[in-house]
Amino acid sequence: MVIQKVGAVLDRIGLESVRSSPLSVFFILFSAVVIFFASQFPSGDGVGPSFFPIAVSVGIIFFAGIDVLTGSETELEISEFDFRPAAAVAAFLVGYVLLMPVLGFLVSTMLFMPVVLYYSDIRSKLLGVALSIGFPIALFYIFARIFLVRLPEGVIPVSRLLPQLPLVVTF
Amino acid sequence: MVVEYITQALVNLADPFVLLLMVSGILLGILMGSIPGMTATMTIAVLLSFTFTMEPSQGMILLLGIYGGAVYAGSIPAILIRTPGTPSAAATIFDGHPLSQKGEAGRAIRVSTIASFVGGVISVIALMFFSPVIADIALRFRSPEFFALAFFGLTIIASVSGDSLTKGMVSGLFGMLVATVGIDPVTGFHRFTFDIPELLTGVEFIAVMIGLFGIAEGLRKYSQGINSGNDRVDQEITGVFPSLSDLRSIAPVSVGSGILGSFIGAIPGAGGDIAAFITYNEATRWLKDSVPSFGEGNIRGVAAAESGNNASTGGALIPTLTLGIPGDSVSAILIGALLVHDVNPGPGLYQEEPVLLYTIFVGFLLIYVFILIFGMLGANYWARLINIPKSHIWPAILVLCVIGAIALRGNVFDAWIMLGAGVLGYAMRLRGYPLAPMVLGLILAPIAEENLRRSLVLSGGSPTIFLTSPIALVIILLGLGAIALPTVRSLRA
Repeated sequence: MVIQKVGAVLDRIGLESVRSSPLSVFFILFSAVVIFFASQFPSGDGVGPSFFPIAVSVGIIFFAGIDVLTGSETELEISEFDFRPAAAVAAFLVGYVLLMPVLGFLVSTMLFMPVVLYYSDIRSKLLGVALSIGFPIALFYIFARIFLVRLPEGVIPVSRLLPQLPLVVTF
Repeated sequence: MVVEYITQALVNLADPFVLLLMVSGILLGILMGSIPGMTATMTIAVLLSFTFTMEPSQGMILLLGIYGGAVYAGSIPAILIRTPGTPSAAATIFDGHPLSQKGEAGRAIRVSTIASFVGGVISVIALMFFSPVIADIALRFRSPEFFALAFFGLTIIASVSGDSLTKGMVSGLFGMLVATVGIDPVTGFHRFTFDIPELLTGVEFIAVMIGLFGIAEGLRKYSQGINSGNDRVDQEITGVFPSLSDLRSIAPVSVGSGILGSFIGAIPGAGGDIAAFITYNEATRWLKDSVPSFGEGNIRGVAAAESGNNASTGGALIPTLTLGIPGDSVSAILIGALLVHDVNPGPGLYQEEPVLLYTIFVGFLLIYVFILIFGMLGANYWARLINIPKSHIWPAILVLCVIGAIALRGNVFDAWIMLGAGVLGYAMRLRGYPLAPMVLGLILAPIAEENLRRSLVLSGGSPTIFLTSPIALVIILLGLGAIALPTVRSLRA
């Protein structure tokens, strides 16, 4: 019965408007999943822990639903864009973050930089090498040695081989 | 008492390291603001990680230096290549670029520097004058009033939603939903943590901000073509000071726009771009007989826009520091920066951290003095920054985004959150969803939820508690008005 009703509503909306509003549909589905999980939270006295997430999710479904119905999710900028470079850079970033705990900040950044620099059309070998090696080392000194921010060292802590700063500045 | 705090603030600011941070922040801000596409919000989000181990006042001075420097420098490419360096410089194009086409780019930049200084200083004076008064009133607030304030802040989403109210609402509500992850503030129940220890304290708000403003923008840039829109500037900017007649001509409009811009900046959600457009519009209304006409290279147009957008910086800090409600997306990040140091922005800040507050006030004033000096002496060099190819900058920014997220708590988990937020932000931007409401939702949801539930406990579950408090009632009505106005306007359209 419910499925039939949902089907009837979807027919009325038209599959095309659903297809043309993928992000609004994503927000609706995401909110539905949140409502499912939140409805299993214990009900406290008065307003419990599920109230706020459910209320907010209902709001998202309402407003995203209007977007789907009116087909107002624009493709305003999409025609000017090529998704492949963004997907490639996102993939490089995923690889970078995956390598970070294994190789540490220093080595993984030294591997990430030349890949992204090459992908950014930087063909000068001298500049590429200088940025790929110099930038991670400079950042390591600034973060780990001067500002004492903890950076991943990796399984083999190569960064410990770097000499200490002659003048240690700490805060 | 105030004199004592100001004296202590001056002592803090006289520290050579703090001065170094201030100057570095301003120069970084000018560098990034001069390059189109590098916004103040993105720069601050990406460089926030530098401040994690600093004293709160040191970190704030660095970030405010970047903020002021970037908002000021956004006008340089707006004047020279008709592309605003930051969104808040968009209104500067109207008269700045025609001046540049007439060969008067130097004159436009000098006027912009003076007006930025005037607007900035007026806004900091407004911040110093009004903040204690507002904080004093807010000290009497209880849960219903705080809920009303958060509600008001959230309704402002309607005004920052750009063309689509529904998309803005979805973005803001999604931010609120993300903020519910973690331990429930009232019952201690674990919500949406899925036994992941890193989620117990919630999704790291700063990691989300870095993703939304750093990674999403980077992916967008690569999609457009990393080297597209690399306009070159070869004009020589000569001279240092504006002429006396120019100064006389822009003085009233700079002061007026500074006052108006401070007021607009203080409205949660209204950033420098809105302030600049309104002050520019007011200038064209009040000075309509001006020669040359506005839009044809009138220096008063440049002064109105630049004084207005710089004035919004101090104005935005008023609700940020006194109520904990961000005036714009930059001040939302500043709230995050303070929270990292266990400093809670809000009315209690005046009692708990008065020296920090006065260091921020006096420091921000000093930042504008430095901006004036650097702007006057370095205009020719800042103009050359536009020529830096973006392909040299973005790889470094991507690395800084990842480190910034990891440095938050020293774990890689936050880098995944940051990447997820970046990809979502990229998709949202392509589909016309504004990102600023999501940030407002992230910050205001915990305040709204906690105080709503506390209020209902106080009233035994009756929502009339919000009607019996006159202050809460007025604020809620203002919030409803903030939703109703744009809705009626769009229905009429």
